[in-house]
Amino acid sequence: MAETESAPGMIEKLSTMFDNLVKVTTTKAPIAQTPKQAIWRLNKATLYRYTPVKPAEERHRTPLLLIFALMNKSSILDLRPGNSFVEYMVNKGYDLYLLDWGVPGPEDAHLELADYVLEYIPRAVRKMKQVSGSETFSLLGWCIGAMLSTLYASLRGHSEGLKNLTLLTAPLDFTDKEEISLARMTEERYFDVDRVLQAFGNMPAGLIDYGAKMLKPVENFVGGYMRLLDNLDNTKVVDSWHAMNTWVNDAIPLAGGAYRQFIVDFYRGNKLMNGTLTIRGEKVDLKNLKANLLNVIAEDDHITPPCQSKRLMDKVGSADKLELRVPGGHIGVMAGSGASKGTWPKVESWIAARSD
Amino acid sequence: MADKGFDPMKLMRDARDTGMDAWAKLMLRLTGSHQYQRMQGFISKPTLLAIAMFRKASDSTMGGVLGNLNMPSREEVLQISQRLTHIEMALDDLAAGLDQLRRSAGAGAGAAASKPQRSPSRDVPTETRPVSAKDA
Repeated sequence: MAETESAPGMIEKLSTMFDNLVKVTTTKAPIAQTPKQAIWRLNKATLYRYTPVKPAEERHRTPLLLIFALMNKSSILDLRPGNSFVEYMVNKGYDLYLLDWGVPGPEDAHLELADYVLEYIPRAVRKMKQVSGSETFSLLGWCIGAMLSTLYASLRGHSEGLKNLTLLTAPLDFTDKEEISLARMTEERYFDVDRVLQAFGNMPAGLIDYGAKMLKPVENFVGGYMRLLDNLDNTKVVDSWHAMNTWVNDAIPLAGGAYRQFIVDFYRGNKLMNGTLTIRGEKVDLKNLKANLLNVIAEDDHITPPCQSKRLMDKVGSADKLELRVPGGHIGVMAGSGASKGTWPKVESWIAARSD
Repeated sequence: MADKGFDPMKLMRDARDTGMDAWAKLMLRLTGSHQYQRMQGFISKPTLLAIAMFRKASDSTMGGVLGNLNMPSREEVLQISQRLTHIEMALDDLAAGLDQLRRSAGAGAGAAASKPQRSPSRDVPTETRPVSAKDA
């Protein structure tokens, strides 16, 4: 009796496994599905406004702008329905905007951090303020997006109406080089950044991806596929894996000028924390960062370990500041299966309390 | 009943996971070491030099060929693209400035609406043109 029941079950299971295998090997998962409109463009950058789902009177008055890193696509913020930070925030009644950097081409190799911080972000903010009709706004930056947001907040934030700043896994402090694996990898004696840029112009996506994956080589090159193999009959797990894999393998190059500055001024010089960083002649003084600050640190982050973000709290001029430690890795903290019950509600409630 | 708790697949998976854990730790120690970074640097230097030399040679050859064909070189196309971005920025600033003017004129008109109407003059109708969807 048991055998006659298990045979069709086994066939069904094998069929599901086969379908899932075909899906992950031949297609890209549909990601970034939340409805949005492009409201502004400059070069490769696009400012999107997510279509609100709540009427204007039920929405928070202060709009929220999201900024992600330069070397990966911002779709991680809107991974897939049911597991999307963007969808979550729109449902919570935010007038939500996303500054997507696009993919730099060879013509963008000269772009520096100054271009992003002083040309792109202020213009996108101006457009967002025009569309939303609000003079103040909140900003949420993740990874290098958090670094750019910090620079912007220090240089322009106060004058341009930045009210709340949320930083997620922000790589800002490079003091403890032994703790930061990427700092070891990019030490001057081993890594000639000028030669790399001379060869490629921009920092190629493949090299960035390789560097990040080599921080945990077995987990990244083998472990992920083992996890897929173990769950091949579970379509829900496979869909989640597929979405993440689609995003991970869609890295983009980083503009040469910005990459050089990132390595020389930040990884090697630690200029922001030392107080010697200048952006287009302007000294970046963290004391000028006066917006309300939420600094989210992922405790198991191997790309931006906690030591890179925590010292910021003593340096900024914000009166209202909070350091939030959450379990999880660099990406998992916001896009992992537990994020919707862990990080998101905490971040949302902090912003909500300061958005009306 | 006795073999209900026995799952050979689980045993194999556990053994594999244990092996992978050990392998991961070993690799982490290896790739995190200064010796490994030194080796990476040693290997990458000649590779990068070769790529840069090839790129320079191909740029100069192609530049000559394209020049003879009266076509812009790669460098010139890149420069045009950069100039377009600068123009885009200037236009963006102009559009924002115009929008600002329109708003202040609108606010002024709103304030004027509560006052007695003046007779139309030449400088008034500048804000009367319909705003297209593109402007918005």
